[in-house]
Amino acid sequence: MTEWNFLLVATLALPLAMVVACLHDAFYARILSWLPLAPVPGLLAALFERGDSIVIAPAPLRLTLALDDVGAMLLGGASLLWAAAGLYASVSMRGKPGSGRFAIWWLLTLTGSLGVFIVADMTSFYLVFSLASLSAFGLVAFEDTARSRRASQVYMALALVGEALILFGFVMLVSATPGGNPLIRDAVAMLSGSPLESPAVLLLILGFGLKMGLVPLHVWMPLAHPVAPIPASAVLSGIIVKAGVIGLIRFLPLEVPSPDWGMALMVLGLLTAFYGVIVGITQEHPKTVLAYSTVSQMGVVAAVLGAGFSTGAPGTATLAAFYALHHLLVKGALFLGVGIVGATGSRNLARVVIPMALLAFSLAGLPFTSGALAKFATKPLFGDGLAAFMATLSAAGSAFLMAHFLGRLRLLANENAGAVPQTSLVFAWALVAAASLVLPWALFPEITSYALSETVSLKALWAASWPIAIGLLMALFIQRIHSIIPRIPEGDVIVLLERLQPLAARCGIALERTDLVLRRWPVASILLLTLAMAFGATLQFAR
Amino acid sequence: MTPAAYTATEGGALLVVAIVLPVIGMLAIFALGLRRAERIAYLVLPGGLLVALAIAADVARSGAAVTYVLGGWQPPLGIALRADGLSVTLMVLTAVVLCAVGLVARGSFSTPTDKAEARSPMVFWTLILGLWCALNTVFLGQDLFNLFVALELLTFSAVPLVCLDGRRETLQAALRYLLFALIGSVLYLMGAALLYGAYGTLDLAGLRLLARNDLATSVALGLMIAGLMAKAALFPLHLWLPPAHAGAPAAASAVLSALVVKAPFFIILRLWFDVAPQPANAMAAQMLAWLGIASILFCSVMALRQARLKLMIAYSTVAQLGYLFLMFPLAMASDAPTAWESVGWTGGVLQLVSHALAKASMFLAAGLIAEALGHDRIENLDGAMSVVPISVAAFGLAGLSLMGLPPSGGFVAKLMLLTAATETANWWIAAAILMGGILAASYVFRVLNRAMAAPSSNFACKASIPLYRELTVLGLAICAVVLGFVPLQPFAFLGIGRVGLP
Amino acid sequence: MISSTALYGLCAAGLVAIGLYGLVLHPTPLRKVIAFNLLGSGTFIFFGVAARRGAAAGLLADPVPQAMVITGIVVAFAATAVAVALLLRLAESGGSTLDPGAPDPQDDRPS
Repeated sequence: MTEWNFLLVATLALPLAMVVACLHDAFYARILSWLPLAPVPGLLAALFERGDSIVIAPAPLRLTLALDDVGAMLLGGASLLWAAAGLYASVSMRGKPGSGRFAIWWLLTLTGSLGVFIVADMTSFYLVFSLASLSAFGLVAFEDTARSRRASQVYMALALVGEALILFGFVMLVSATPGGNPLIRDAVAMLSGSPLESPAVLLLILGFGLKMGLVPLHVWMPLAHPVAPIPASAVLSGIIVKAGVIGLIRFLPLEVPSPDWGMALMVLGLLTAFYGVIVGITQEHPKTVLAYSTVSQMGVVAAVLGAGFSTGAPGTATLAAFYALHHLLVKGALFLGVGIVGATGSRNLARVVIPMALLAFSLAGLPFTSGALAKFATKPLFGDGLAAFMATLSAAGSAFLMAHFLGRLRLLANENAGAVPQTSLVFAWALVAAASLVLPWALFPEITSYALSETVSLKALWAASWPIAIGLLMALFIQRIHSIIPRIPEGDVIVLLERLQPLAARCGIALERTDLVLRRWPVASILLLTLAMAFGATLQFAR
Repeated sequence: MTPAAYTATEGGALLVVAIVLPVIGMLAIFALGLRRAERIAYLVLPGGLLVALAIAADVARSGAAVTYVLGGWQPPLGIALRADGLSVTLMVLTAVVLCAVGLVARGSFSTPTDKAEARSPMVFWTLILGLWCALNTVFLGQDLFNLFVALELLTFSAVPLVCLDGRRETLQAALRYLLFALIGSVLYLMGAALLYGAYGTLDLAGLRLLARNDLATSVALGLMIAGLMAKAALFPLHLWLPPAHAGAPAAASAVLSALVVKAPFFIILRLWFDVAPQPANAMAAQMLAWLGIASILFCSVMALRQARLKLMIAYSTVAQLGYLFLMFPLAMASDAPTAWESVGWTGGVLQLVSHALAKASMFLAAGLIAEALGHDRIENLDGAMSVVPISVAAFGLAGLSLMGLPPSGGFVAKLMLLTAATETANWWIAAAILMGGILAASYVFRVLNRAMAAPSSNFACKASIPLYRELTVLGLAICAVVLGFVPLQPFAFLGIGRVGLP
Repeated sequence: MISSTALYGLCAAGLVAIGLYGLVLHPTPLRKVIAFNLLGSGTFIFFGVAARRGAAAGLLADPVPQAMVITGIVVAFAATAVAVALLLRLAESGGSTLDPGAPDPQDDRPS
């Protein structure tokens, strides 16, 4: 126990306390201005707290909090983005109808999303994971439009499916360990060699992959992320998807080489990385393009995890988390930036678009940005073969997609040519943007064996630059044939599934008819007599 | 052939008090004037809760079942009452739910001041007390015929509650309920006659020692369990439940859904684990579980398609009852020495308790919402959040338990059932549990989504609801949620008195 | 020569069969109530058979089933009373069927 331990508890307790305090009308009226403060304990904990675990409730409940390096990295980044987005929300949401409700969903989502980085036992993990994923529904559904209703329904349906998959996976994990609620690492350690290993790993990859948006379980993301208000989009795309990443990091036995599952995850990840680019390029709205970029980037993270998992390479978890941190900050800044562009007139646009371009190409690994560091650090995991080439090519895809994003972004500019965004909004955006450029440089020497100078060597610069050049060339080319490429609707595959809706409705009606028949008196009473005989016969003859 | 003898334990007389106290209340209502029905009920309700708690404390302290032998006559001629860990848990549950329902029903069933007496308040309070007496007898009775009488008493108390408002639909629903329950009773009675013919006793402890695997026993158990399933409204025998539970006044629906349908299930538990020859028949257990699965899936989808809130909750009751029937194959886990030390059995019992709390709260909340809005059409629930926010919150919390999301009793219960299904490799059961959770979430969210929407322009609040009624409902929902903090393992308390009779 | 026990048994089975038939298939609730009474009687005779077979060893005629039959008759009477009361209320309110959607059997009669 150190004196900083209380910070971990406060990380979860403070936002929850704020929710409870909303019962008081005076506080509820001013809840928006408190939003930036809610993640502060998390931020402090990430800075000062390390190693120890705190048992909140003793056995057999064993609710346990702990913070390791991986958790601290993501906790810090997430808290920072929550604080900045909270600041943004406290200004942009002020006076909108339903903003109080929005703040409550915000705080609940915040609690859950920070919780996943710091809990150490299975039950608590499921609890905070569900809290994050279900409360985010309130953020997606905030704008009460037909589009957001559809998005939130799809989001909810898939989130629930994800919950079910993960719960089943957890049960299989736990069934190998004695005791009611094991620590995550104990349960994972017992997994290898258990008869349920394969189904458990499959369920966990599917469940957490759904949260990360791996193809074909990504369909909710391009619907849900763009419809939320700007700050909510930033946290959804930046932070909530990382609950899936931390899930895979915590629950896959990454240190034990597993060629089959690792390869499967890597292929799925790379597939997702390219799929996100290809569909994203056909999108019109910048926020939707960014959502598809998130799909693509999470594919890269999954590929990193898969590559490490297949060989059991040490440090895979840290490297994947490092990549995730880079994406967390950059994507958060990009989404907030979309809001800033919307509030900026054409005269001042360059001052916003240039940093946005820097952030955007950081996702493709632009030299001297966090993206370059993240790609440099994770590259060795892929080895030298086809996988490494594909991973590099995905950077070209990102550059391609981001060029498209920047092209669409200009169209959002405020109609009033002289408009300037509010200072506090710009401050929130600049804070995250700056953190995304600086933080990874500070962390890089700690988590890799490379010196910083290696990342700016000529060889590294060349390796980082040529994919971007290819991406830009592709963007130029596609602009020529812009008019003939087909438009793919948001959510791609889901649109095909929605065609099945009449069929589902017919099934529902058929079921209702069946119910009417079953509930007719003669039918039900004959069924009762049949059941009595069948049950007696089973008891007698089936042994 | 001497069946096991019961020895009365110290404090056993409390069991008699638990059964007789509600009867005294009923008699007092008739003796002291029907106007005072509500006041008398408010005296009896906390008293009964105290008695139930005292018995629970007694069982917990001594670690053994509390027994009382009526008049000192041993079975098979006499009748024994016995409270083990399970029955005492259900008694406390019943008392808590009834007290909460009584508090919420204040107002809707008080006698108007300008009348000497009114029919519906008198009937409501008398029947609630009669129902309580019947439930306690079901939980304590040790004799299959005695249990039959208790079940009939329960049905006769429950049926008129369905048609308190005297509308034609509710009268039809009540009559259907009564007649279908009567077929169930006759089947049960035939089974009892067969068992008596074969063994010469209907005492549970006696039967446990004697039960053989023969034709008479199989047919008897088949008849009895099918009859009880009809009374518990397991799919496909649910014809009477949706109209009856949806048509009754909310306070009555809460009791019917939370407690009344659990009584026949409790007797099935007794028959299966105490009377049926051991080791249990795996195929028959699977058959029960398949009916449970069908119940969960079919009725959850039906709940999703209902237009009225109370009908939706009623279908959800049938679906949630399905979970209870999953425990028969799951309790046969290989690593537990007895069924009640298995995770599956514990999960099933926990599901029973948490569903009772959650469903009572949900029906009461639906009643308050309907009272405030003047209707219960799900499509037009918008604005409910602004009128009765606490009730909507209670509905949400209760829904959390039904969906099986943490932290809630329903979550722990379903997690235990799922764990047991995984350990016994019953993959279909596991899939049904997960699917049922998703469907339950869909129908609960459908309601919450509408209830939290901004009210439309022509929105009018029909009645204002006193705060204490809303808080009581919320209290019940919180109880269901707090159950989620029990540890994930079999509880010793539920096993008290179940091993080694007497 | 058929034994009296078997005769009683067959009689009980016959009553149960008639009762079940009526309860399941007769559309009018009143007939269902009467059928239920037949069904109940069959079951009580069945109890009587159990008593005659003297499963409880040592007793010439087992009194316990007879006590049960008496109780059962009281219960069945109470059930009939509740059912008839409901039927009366239902008739007052203008309905006479169990299935809300089913055609009213009374309507089929030529008026």
